[in-house]
Amino acid sequence: MNDEPRMYSWKNRWLRGSLLFVGGTTVVSLLVGFVWLPSMQGDFTAQGIWSSICRAAGVPAPWGAGGDATRATTRTTEVVMTRSMARAGGTEAVGLGATIALQCTVCHGVRGLTDSNAPNLAGQYPEVMIKQLTDYQSGDRINSVMQAFARSLTPQAIREVAAYYAYLPRVTNPTSDPGSDVPRLVQVGDAMRNIAPCASCHGGLDHKLGAPWLEAMPKAYLSEQLDAFAKGARHNDSHRQMRNMARQLSAAEVDELATYYARR
Amino acid sequence: MFRARRLVLAHFWVAIVAFAAAMVLGAWQMYARSPLAAGTGDPELYYRSVTAHGTVMAYVFPLLVAMGFGYAISELSLKQPLVGRRWAWAGFWLAIVGTVMASVPIALGRASVLYTFYPPLIGSPFYYLGIVLVVVGSWVWVVLMAINLRAWKRDHPGETVPLAMFGNVAAAFLWAWTSIGAAVEILVLILPVALGFKDTIDAGLSRVLFSWTLHAIVYFWLMPAYIAFYTIVPRAVGGRLYSDTMGRVAFVLFLVFSMPIGIHHLFADPQIGSGFKFMHAVFTAMVTVPTFLTVFTIVASLEIAARLRGGKGLFGWVRTLPWDNPMMLAVTFSFVMLGLGGAGGLINMSYQLNETIHNTQWVTGHFHLIFAGAIVIMYFMLAYELWPQLTLRAPLSTGLVKTQLWLWFVGMLILTGPWHWVGILGMPRRMASFDYTDPTLHAMAWPVVVSTLGGVVLLLSALLFVFILASARRTGDAPAPFTFSIAVHMPRRVPTALNGFGIWVALMVALTVVNYGFPIAQLVALKGTSVPAIPVGAQ
Repeated sequence: MNDEPRMYSWKNRWLRGSLLFVGGTTVVSLLVGFVWLPSMQGDFTAQGIWSSICRAAGVPAPWGAGGDATRATTRTTEVVMTRSMARAGGTEAVGLGATIALQCTVCHGVRGLTDSNAPNLAGQYPEVMIKQLTDYQSGDRINSVMQAFARSLTPQAIREVAAYYAYLPRVTNPTSDPGSDVPRLVQVGDAMRNIAPCASCHGGLDHKLGAPWLEAMPKAYLSEQLDAFAKGARHNDSHRQMRNMARQLSAAEVDELATYYARR
Repeated sequence: MFRARRLVLAHFWVAIVAFAAAMVLGAWQMYARSPLAAGTGDPELYYRSVTAHGTVMAYVFPLLVAMGFGYAISELSLKQPLVGRRWAWAGFWLAIVGTVMASVPIALGRASVLYTFYPPLIGSPFYYLGIVLVVVGSWVWVVLMAINLRAWKRDHPGETVPLAMFGNVAAAFLWAWTSIGAAVEILVLILPVALGFKDTIDAGLSRVLFSWTLHAIVYFWLMPAYIAFYTIVPRAVGGRLYSDTMGRVAFVLFLVFSMPIGIHHLFADPQIGSGFKFMHAVFTAMVTVPTFLTVFTIVASLEIAARLRGGKGLFGWVRTLPWDNPMMLAVTFSFVMLGLGGAGGLINMSYQLNETIHNTQWVTGHFHLIFAGAIVIMYFMLAYELWPQLTLRAPLSTGLVKTQLWLWFVGMLILTGPWHWVGILGMPRRMASFDYTDPTLHAMAWPVVVSTLGGVVLLLSALLFVFILASARRTGDAPAPFTFSIAVHMPRRVPTALNGFGIWVALMVALTVVNYGFPIAQLVALKGTSVPAIPVGAQ
């Protein structure tokens, strides 16, 4: 049987055949995929053959009118949510935070609760406070009053304020209500419009890092924020998750959701 | 002779118990998202369940079956004691520890990221570490298979490697190379984030690396079934294998073409260039070739069996096939499901047609038909075939076995047919609930109810499978020696190329580099491609 040529020599027909076949298939499909198919598309071939090949290979390049393909047009947020942010500081941080928070009491109440239409902060998740205050500092969330207050805070002061408000007792929705009056959007969302249930991030079903505690928030504040997300005036939701949800809501639904979460 | 008996039995029992548990979850998932449930359940529980179902069915169950079957093949076909039995036990225990380590965070809701991981979702590090342990355990098997083949070749210079062992080692090498994608994804990209060292993750690169594993793993699942087609089916139905060489060609073609095709899962992903998507579509088309070769060869082998039983005429021999033989039923069911699933697969792999069904229930229907249908039904037969050897018990009741196979086949068709249909209607996959009262979804309500009934039938079949194996009668006698199929022309010598793997492994690596090299290098080099990670179950 030693009439069979050595395995790794060009005379071996298995080696020769398989290399030629696999190599040929590769070359032909490369030519079709990178040269012929792109040549059928005007926007691939606009800047010559090399540019067309690069585009077929997926190299980032300006398309159409041009511009930096890697730069997003709208700023969202520079804060990266980490689990360490969700761990509130100890008693010392709470005490220091309480002192700093004296300047917040005019709008947010002495114990983080107020009948004004500023949001209630008592019991808010610390990572939410950190993210929003940092976004005010960087201008990713816009509010003339809050941006002015936030500007002077150091990162450590922000963590302490967050620790203080997280420490205050939270106000919850009345639980004696039968579950049946929970709006469908809160409980199951609306898959056909790609609206996730509110409760899958804001508590109830699950809580996602960075999603605020909403129960007992002022109704006016909630509907104003949903409107701002829908119009794009507020855009510090890192994955556009709130803008995409809010844009789909009717005025009646915004009212229903705001009313539901504002119950106390 | 069969010294690895307890080792193989341990693999099979753990695989079977895990399979049965995941079947219960699967049936519950069918119910939870159907109109029969109110659709107001906790979606998180659904994703928890899907994660457990996928992790067991995609990693634990097929890996343990392939490993156990591989050890059995090594002893039974090479007729030599398994080299490295202690290492094999170590690999087994690694896989067990890994399975438990991954299951706990899933059960606690800390890892509801589905078995495909889906960064930027990030679950508990213990989930990923558990999967790494399972994979490392399987790498022990890969090395042992290579060592056993080498030991046999050393003792039998110039002889032809038995076809079963040839396919087995091809499967091991395929797994070794394909598992690297997900392993790199976990170790380099996911774990640093899950452990808290990093807060952002390159989701696009993660998906490309996972696609490296995601499609070739299907061919790895397939290998035990194909080995059974070639080396057990012809013997079990009383025929001869039509061509031993064709089996070798099919196995090496899987080795070469399984890998450079995974990006056809990412046709809708923006981070890959259209040229590479086309390349992967072409090579996905190539991987149908070994399947066509296999179907041809096995049908020819069945024809031999039928003609030996007096079958006549161009198609008249079909009547004389041993239809009362469970293996005959299984291979028929398997081919029917492979044909239907494969036809759907041609749509999935076509760059343009894919758009119509991408990310719909069609895809779920497709891979259940191929894996849970065509492949798992052969896993059942592997267990039934090996059971008398493993447990020293009497042959199993063919009546019950046939009932179980029928239930599985019918259940699978009832499950997957409606899934394909609602997929065409546009029903997305990975959804915990649907509002079937919505006029746009109303037409999907009844097919989903029907497919839920299919899920119930499948669960019954799975429980019957466990019952048949658990209730096998003990006999004192040693079982008849296990034999593999005999080919019409048993090869005295095969070409060197088909007696080893060197050139095929080289081609596998080369094609992977051509098809994956640039997309991966580019995504690694590009700045600013990472996004914030989203911890699952953070509270």
